[in-house]
Amino acid sequence: MNYVDYYAALEVERGATAEEIRKAYRRLARRYHPDVSKEADAEERFKAISEANETLSDPEKREAYDQLGRHRTGESVQPSAEWDSRFWQGAPGEDIDLAELLERIGFHGGAPRRGQDFEIATSLSLEDAATGTEVSVEFSVQELGDDGRVQRRPHTARVRVPKGISDGERLRVPGKGGPGLGGGKPGDLYIDIRLARHPRFEVAGHDLYLQVPLAPWEAVLGAEIELPTLDGRLKLTVKPGARGGQKLRLSGKGLPRRGEGAGDLYAVLQIVTPSVISEKEKQLFEELAASSSFDPRAHLTGEPSHV
Amino acid sequence: MSDLPLNPSSPEEAIDLDDLIASTGLVQAEVIELVELGVLETCDGRTGFLFYSRTVVQARRAARLRDDFGLNTPGMALALTYLERIEQLEHRLRVLEASQPR
Repeated sequence: MNYVDYYAALEVERGATAEEIRKAYRRLARRYHPDVSKEADAEERFKAISEANETLSDPEKREAYDQLGRHRTGESVQPSAEWDSRFWQGAPGEDIDLAELLERIGFHGGAPRRGQDFEIATSLSLEDAATGTEVSVEFSVQELGDDGRVQRRPHTARVRVPKGISDGERLRVPGKGGPGLGGGKPGDLYIDIRLARHPRFEVAGHDLYLQVPLAPWEAVLGAEIELPTLDGRLKLTVKPGARGGQKLRLSGKGLPRRGEGAGDLYAVLQIVTPSVISEKEKQLFEELAASSSFDPRAHLTGEPSHV
Repeated sequence: MSDLPLNPSSPEEAIDLDDLIASTGLVQAEVIELVELGVLETCDGRTGFLFYSRTVVQARRAARLRDDFGLNTPGMALALTYLERIEQLEHRLRVLEASQPR
């Protein structure tokens, strides 16, 4: 079993009072709480902080932890026979991690306890979100063994995700979390949906965005272009005089919604220029420059007019 | 065999007060106060307290904030309101980003 220095995790002295521990936890939670913080490693950090707090804020667990002695994080620790007889709730010599070991202290069997809830993030492709799919999530559940002790068992749940899902949604699968202990009800499973970045489409809610480059002459003269969508290709008419940044809405071509309808696909026009041009093209552009009366910066000349 | 999650906003799959309490760790008085403060939504047109499955996610978040920051009910309501506002702004930002060239 690898030791974790919980006092270091909460940045407190070993002799800290319950009040000091509470304050340290609150201070760190404010920085790393996943509901509040957007720091990249917030989730990991908060897990470590919560684990430390769970033990140090409970007098019985803190006592058991302190009795393990003082070690460095990562150091291998073997509880003494005396420690085992005082605190241990599992099978002798069982190899589990420190958090699990301490979690069992305080569970003395008997009273029914509701199963644990699990919140598992899963990543879907846009295509799978559009059609609906099935995901498999793995977690480890606690249950009572034949000897009446709590043990962990790896568990896989398969969940059918209906079409209509969008990025950031949390789906609740009732009763599919950890089994209840001592006759308690099972916990729930929450699936946290993330849509993987698509090579072509950007997503916002149920709407999709596609950057569509146009040549300057296509923008001026208009064009018939062909675009990819989630379900095949589509012809689109760009009217003469198209502007860069203009959005053309393709109604109902976004992600399907639950039940009826779907979001939209926006073709965002971009006017791009060739980086290498032939002598002939150069000549044509020069002719155009000489004969055009178009002044793109007319509004920037003279005194500004306030509207 | 696979399980189907609850539809987050379907009144047909609504859950009742006891279920909400068991799933979130909030106590009844807190749920009622959060409903009265307008942060937890109940299903429209139903008698008694019935909640959409998406409300469970909100209520769990409220309970987490209560436990981790020692918030009282008005504090939970305030935090949830701010978080919702942040999510709306994030969505608007997402729309703007999505329409920009990569």
